[in-house]
Amino acid sequence: MGSDLSTVLASHRWGPAADVDVGRMMRARHARLQAAMAEQGVDVAVLLHGGNVTYATGRAVRGVDAAHAAYERPVAVVVAGEERPHLLDGLWPELDEGAEALGRVLADVARPLAGKRVAVDVQTGAMVRSGVLAEATLADAGTVVGPAKLTKTADELACIAIAQRRNEEAMVATQRACRPGATRAEVAGVFLAELVRLGAGANLIDPIFQPMPRSRATGPRTTTGDVAFPTGVGNPTFGSGDVVWVDTGIDHLGYASDFGRTWVVGRDPSPAEQALFSRWCDVMVAVLDVLRPGVTGGDLCRAADDAAGGGVAALPEPAPEVGVRTPTSGARTGWGRPWLPHFYLAHGVGVESAEMPLVGTDLGAAFDDGLVMAPGMVLVLEPVAWEDGVGGYRSEEIVAVTDDGWVHLGGGHPYEPFGS
Amino acid sequence: MSVTGVDDPADADLRAARRQRVFDAMDAAGLDALVLGRRDSVAYATGVRSLWTAGTRLFGPACVLVAARRSVHLLSTWDEGVPPEVPFEHLYGVTWNPAVMAGSLAAVPGLPEARRIGVDGLSVGFASAAGRLAPGASLVPADDVLQAVRAVKLPAEVERMRVAVAVATAGVGVASAALATGASPSEALADTLAAVGTAGVTVPTSAPLVEPVGEAASLVRVDLGFLVDGYEGGRGRTVPAGGSGDPRLDTVREAQRRLIDACRPGASGTDLQATAAGPGAAGAAGWLVRGSGMGFEAPVVTDALGGSAVLAENMVLSVEASIDGVVRRDLVLVTPAGGQPL
Repeated sequence: MGSDLSTVLASHRWGPAADVDVGRMMRARHARLQAAMAEQGVDVAVLLHGGNVTYATGRAVRGVDAAHAAYERPVAVVVAGEERPHLLDGLWPELDEGAEALGRVLADVARPLAGKRVAVDVQTGAMVRSGVLAEATLADAGTVVGPAKLTKTADELACIAIAQRRNEEAMVATQRACRPGATRAEVAGVFLAELVRLGAGANLIDPIFQPMPRSRATGPRTTTGDVAFPTGVGNPTFGSGDVVWVDTGIDHLGYASDFGRTWVVGRDPSPAEQALFSRWCDVMVAVLDVLRPGVTGGDLCRAADDAAGGGVAALPEPAPEVGVRTPTSGARTGWGRPWLPHFYLAHGVGVESAEMPLVGTDLGAAFDDGLVMAPGMVLVLEPVAWEDGVGGYRSEEIVAVTDDGWVHLGGGHPYEPFGS
Repeated sequence: MSVTGVDDPADADLRAARRQRVFDAMDAAGLDALVLGRRDSVAYATGVRSLWTAGTRLFGPACVLVAARRSVHLLSTWDEGVPPEVPFEHLYGVTWNPAVMAGSLAAVPGLPEARRIGVDGLSVGFASAAGRLAPGASLVPADDVLQAVRAVKLPAEVERMRVAVAVATAGVGVASAALATGASPSEALADTLAAVGTAGVTVPTSAPLVEPVGEAASLVRVDLGFLVDGYEGGRGRTVPAGGSGDPRLDTVREAQRRLIDACRPGASGTDLQATAAGPGAAGAAGWLVRGSGMGFEAPVVTDALGGSAVLAENMVLSVEASIDGVVRRDLVLVTPAGGQPL
């Protein structure tokens, strides 16, 4: 079955990824932001979160810790009707002096703020203390940035494709290093070094190489009763036979990759593990078969459920926490659907490593049924095939919806040791 | 490189001491509850080990502390990396659904009754959710409360930071050795990241840099910052690529030495500004003194801001001086005898 999926992906491969016209990309994004602001009646957008600042201005601060990023963050101010965004660097908006400086800039470019509708993503404590936005009517900037970035231009797709293919390239040497006796951090170090050698963009997430349990009961306890992933905790040493779920992401011009694979350390997959891979491929092929403009997220979920049907997995005891959903009939992961219950069947990727469209989340079936696929949407498909006692198979592929179907943004990285 | 975990007794002691400081500060500030979203704030207050991701985050309730109950509730779908003093029943899972999150918060005992809720950032969505959850409660910026608590380090924190600085120092050594044998800056950086990974460390604070200074490329700037068991280690050096010296190296070393010497209890940001501008410091075009701990911290002092900051004993500061891209940076402990490099 792996060869079927590989054939399907190869026949839809996008590329070679074209050069990115950065100026054209930024003009298109600015136009979309302006349109969304007009639609929402927003006069000014004040953006401090990195992904939003990148989207509005092209300025990418990547590869640094959250605390560094927060203190040193640039701020984007977009004023309705203006031709260009304002990029404010060196403001230090975490500090009272910086927040006051932001207030002076806003008074200059958007006076008077009183009575204006201002979309803001996050305010620092200093901004709240100094009352920078106190006179304005505030709106969630997600209502502006979200619709703007929901579909991507060809330049944006090229950024994602380049990030993904470089990420895949770095994984060749990395997988060789994932052998018995190696530690998680050692393998991650090989990956980070490969990124530098290949001239790839910044690393965006502590590289995940997580040895997976064979059964839910032997893994960490979870609020969903299902599998814990990705925990990102500790530095395990890989043993022969470990099944390792891999998840990494890197940057290209502000856009993220999302690489997911399942590796087996020091041996070939067992027949039962190979069968899980086949089921995972079945789900992928079934979802891709229905993917085109006009279908809904719900259609994609049902295609995945149908392909995963058949045997019934043992269901866990329901956990008492809020948000736990009732397991449905069917197979695969503990809650009965072929993806992790705390995540999704598919998510978008762009200036955020996970953004809309989100398909199969706890936003629920009505949300999925209302989510209509449109050209330019990007989906990272990440189903999971799980059989308690055997373990699980999980990989990820990035596709983009086109006018009449979809294209594969990845480069065709193999599924070794399960298939080509 | 040994890496501690939440089951390590020393880690438990450090967590307990930090938690006590946070609850004491909440009491002093009159906060009934504290809702934190920043990775570093959450790690300080709860001790959780969690997956590192780069860059800023939108504000969300990643943990909740309730003063009257001395309780800690945490956003986590699993108990891996969660300290044992946070019971499983105090975990609320990852959700994409604001209604589910609202339900999780409403179920935190004591939060709906809170009158003053401290936050380390604010979003429009959380402000309205808090209004429904705890009608009439005021949302109070508490980032400054946490900054004050975190700025002065406990002895165990200083020890953690010494370990982290040793990792960064070893990394600078790897890069320098590679450059000395003719490696390109990117080859030297690749070697460094692989070596630091072998030592068990993969998470940066600042972006790791090995880059030529100017166009002549006779000097290479090496600056590394890593998080080791949650604490920052950092070191920056500019090294001659061809073996020959450069007078700017001495100028920068002297400028940094003067700044480090000025890092004494009671010194103000204005004092540091005067030191940077004073006689004998001429030539150092740039400098930055800022707190270090679980990442970038307060205070921040530059030519243009931070004049009112006051240094205290056992603060840890990153002290950086530069001229034309020639940079020297160290983490120092504030002592009565001046800054002591870790």
